[in-house]
Amino acid sequence: MSRVVTEPEKPRLAFGTGVVPRAGAVDPDWLRVRRAKAWDVYLDTPLPSTRSEEWRYTDLSRMLPLDALVPANASLAVPAMANGDGTVPEPLRRAMALDRHSAGRIVDVDGAIVAVELDESLARQGVVLKSLRQAARDGDPLVESLLATKAVPASEGKFPALNAALWTDGVFLRVPANVHLDGPIRLSRWVSHSGSATFTRILIVAENHSQVSFVDECLSPDFESPTLVNTAVELFSRAGAQIQYVSLQRMGKGGFYLANQRTLAERDSTLDTLNVALGGSVGRVDLNARLLGPGANSDMLGLYFGDHDQHFDFNTSQDHVAPHAHSDLLYKGALDDSARGVFRGIIRVHEGAQGTDAYQTNRNLILSDRAVATSLPNLEIGADDVRCSHGATVGQLDAESLFYLMSRGLNREQAERLVVLGFLGEVLSRLPLGGVTEKVTRAIEAKLGNVR
Amino acid sequence: MPTNEVIQGLGLDDYKFGFVTDSEPVFRTRPGLDAEIVRQISARKDEPEWMLKRRLKALGIYDAKPMPDWGGDLSELQETLDQTYFYVKPQEQMERSWDDVPENIKQTFERLGIPEAERKLLAGVGAQYDSEMVYHSLKEEWESKGVIFDSIEDGLRNHPELFRKHFGTVIPAADNKFAALNSAVWSGGSFVYIPPGVELETPLQAYFRVNQERLGQFERTLIIADEGSRAHYIEGCTAPVYSTDSFHSGVIEIIVNRDAFFRYTTIQNWSNNMYNLVTQRARVHRGAHMEWLDGNLGSKLTMKYPSCYLMEEGAHGEIMSIAYAGDGQHQDTGGKVIHVAPNTSSSIVSKSISKGTGRSSYRGLCKVYDGATNAKSNVECDALLINETSRTDTFPYIEIDERSASVGHEATVSKVGDEQLFYLMSRGMDEAEAMALIVRGFIEPIAKELPLEYAVELNRLIELEMEGSVG
Repeated sequence: MSRVVTEPEKPRLAFGTGVVPRAGAVDPDWLRVRRAKAWDVYLDTPLPSTRSEEWRYTDLSRMLPLDALVPANASLAVPAMANGDGTVPEPLRRAMALDRHSAGRIVDVDGAIVAVELDESLARQGVVLKSLRQAARDGDPLVESLLATKAVPASEGKFPALNAALWTDGVFLRVPANVHLDGPIRLSRWVSHSGSATFTRILIVAENHSQVSFVDECLSPDFESPTLVNTAVELFSRAGAQIQYVSLQRMGKGGFYLANQRTLAERDSTLDTLNVALGGSVGRVDLNARLLGPGANSDMLGLYFGDHDQHFDFNTSQDHVAPHAHSDLLYKGALDDSARGVFRGIIRVHEGAQGTDAYQTNRNLILSDRAVATSLPNLEIGADDVRCSHGATVGQLDAESLFYLMSRGLNREQAERLVVLGFLGEVLSRLPLGGVTEKVTRAIEAKLGNVR
Repeated sequence: MPTNEVIQGLGLDDYKFGFVTDSEPVFRTRPGLDAEIVRQISARKDEPEWMLKRRLKALGIYDAKPMPDWGGDLSELQETLDQTYFYVKPQEQMERSWDDVPENIKQTFERLGIPEAERKLLAGVGAQYDSEMVYHSLKEEWESKGVIFDSIEDGLRNHPELFRKHFGTVIPAADNKFAALNSAVWSGGSFVYIPPGVELETPLQAYFRVNQERLGQFERTLIIADEGSRAHYIEGCTAPVYSTDSFHSGVIEIIVNRDAFFRYTTIQNWSNNMYNLVTQRARVHRGAHMEWLDGNLGSKLTMKYPSCYLMEEGAHGEIMSIAYAGDGQHQDTGGKVIHVAPNTSSSIVSKSISKGTGRSSYRGLCKVYDGATNAKSNVECDALLINETSRTDTFPYIEIDERSASVGHEATVSKVGDEQLFYLMSRGMDEAEAMALIVRGFIEPIAKELPLEYAVELNRLIELEMEGSVG
């Protein structure tokens, strides 16, 4: 793995205001203003502490030396768009080679978009896939109205504010009405500098009755010191549209992955998410699904496999604002060594959201004596004609399943591997997307191999 | 479905315990709380110096701890507390015979049916009126076997060593703000000791009545169930309806020794102007069995989470909780089970009904420490919503540090189905009857754990509360 020593002359987050104007040097006026306001919010917002309910089990002050981080400044100038992949690091190139057919690809290295490819015919139908920074410069009105406003605005908290101030680049994807993509759009991300902080945003708008799936994969080498990747994900599905968003977090040691995701599903649309956490030292995902119109539907899936001293924390919420919407959450995790898994989820049925169907399930498999699982599935119900349930379990490998497999001639190791894969596989089978299942299964197998 | 006007017109939620008794206290502290008041309470009780010191220390802890910002709405509580009488002494001394209790106070308890229940089905009865126990009696049969059932003050006076050894060991003053408050100003409550091997066939009961307006009631109960003993303790509570808010904050400590069985039942039916913030906890030893049966029907806001600390191998804890939240009420209840030792097991079953603008919240904790091998815990919460404006929440905390633990939590929320109502009405019931039947069926698994008379009373209360609530 490449080892990069941090360069002392770079501005650190602790240096404060100097960071923002530099990051915003090439932005349109509205964006410069938005960044400056976000920076003020960031300064005014205290770092979340374990005293707050939502951060009770993830102690940022201990895990993330925020002031010592160096903002990734790869995009102080917008890089040239490249169709070739000469700038793509080798491990990322290898990961990309495993992908099957894609309708489009976009490559992000240290917060800068270095390559964009989109199927010709899709471009002709009006699909837009480009660097978010470029889209803002190009004056796309959707970017101005939706970027950090309705989904993940600075006012959401310390990190959404920091991201809205300092984001270097990201993805803008717009699918026009009635257009269906036959393969996923894939974002491949790489972070190379130890001790850096990368701020990226993803903005996806699926217009009426369109359909798109998006795979966001993030990789990195092992780092010597904590390295932050912060992503703000804003997903809008208009009436009758369908979005599938998959996040594959496969960073190296020392990676601190922090994602703020919000999905806004309008009438009769489907907005499904899958968060897979396998890598990094700390992973924290805040996911808020808002069901804004009748007939809206969100499947929210999550899968985590922690080993060594990995720490995964998922904070999800299902906001049923409109009546007759449906959401179904399933997060499953396996925890080995001294890994810790935290799931906190809440279903909020707002007043008047009659006819809501909302479910929430979190299941944990503990594989070692030192692993810890915490589960907090919550309900807040403000309407009476609803069907809501939640369930949470924590347990170890089922002795009977192991015995059965071993009686068929498998050794203990093989049997355990099979049971774990079967346990986690349920999540993947709910969102079958080209190549994702195979990739994740392979990564889990590699982890199982490491441990035993 | 009938409209809201129909529901309103039926005159719901009649609270039959809301009467006021005209009685003059023999002493009361001035409203509000400071060290002087704590000294007055301690002096009135003629306490040993160590207890006064503890009280004053607890007052310091109470002052230092912030008001909880979770659970129910406590934003107006401080204002209420500033005007609250923290100690109101109703009569000069506690009596052993109803004949000696002042007539008007005795009549209050007659109206509540306590002496009658005592004759019929109880092993012993304690009755608290405002800040003091006015009556305490234990049947001769049990007294001769060494059972102690006394007011907490007499426990301190007559059994100082046993008292001091256990007091504050299950719930220390620093546990939470209101435990600290209780530790500073406690008054009344029971001291119970069940000797090894003694099995009480009928329950002990304590009844808590608040009469004084703007009263703070702080009963303190300490129960020790010694090895292999078996007992059931019931508490009930009511108060008059005042336009001002009252405050009740009890602390109940229970020690269940090896192989003992103890059940603690609460039928809380405070009037709707009462803050009810209670800490109840049991320490459960090897092979012992603790059950909390917690019925919360009254109060303005209840925050109460009976807990079982399973300290030794084979300990078992059960919490059965039933909450009814009518208009303007918030029942924030649930339970906690803490598994510290191997082969411990626990179960929490919670049922709640929210009606009108009522809100019921389940809040619970299941914690399994590393080393509590093969711990098993199961939590089930069901919520029934009666009206569009009703609200329910579920906040379970599950913290597992032990690989071999097996823990499950399930919760469902539903409303009374039109199909269910239609079916019963097609069999000739009217809507109200059908509704009451469905609700009774919903709470049945818990109600059947109560002694017959109490189950009947609970059902009757629910029926009364549900009357005409078909929505």
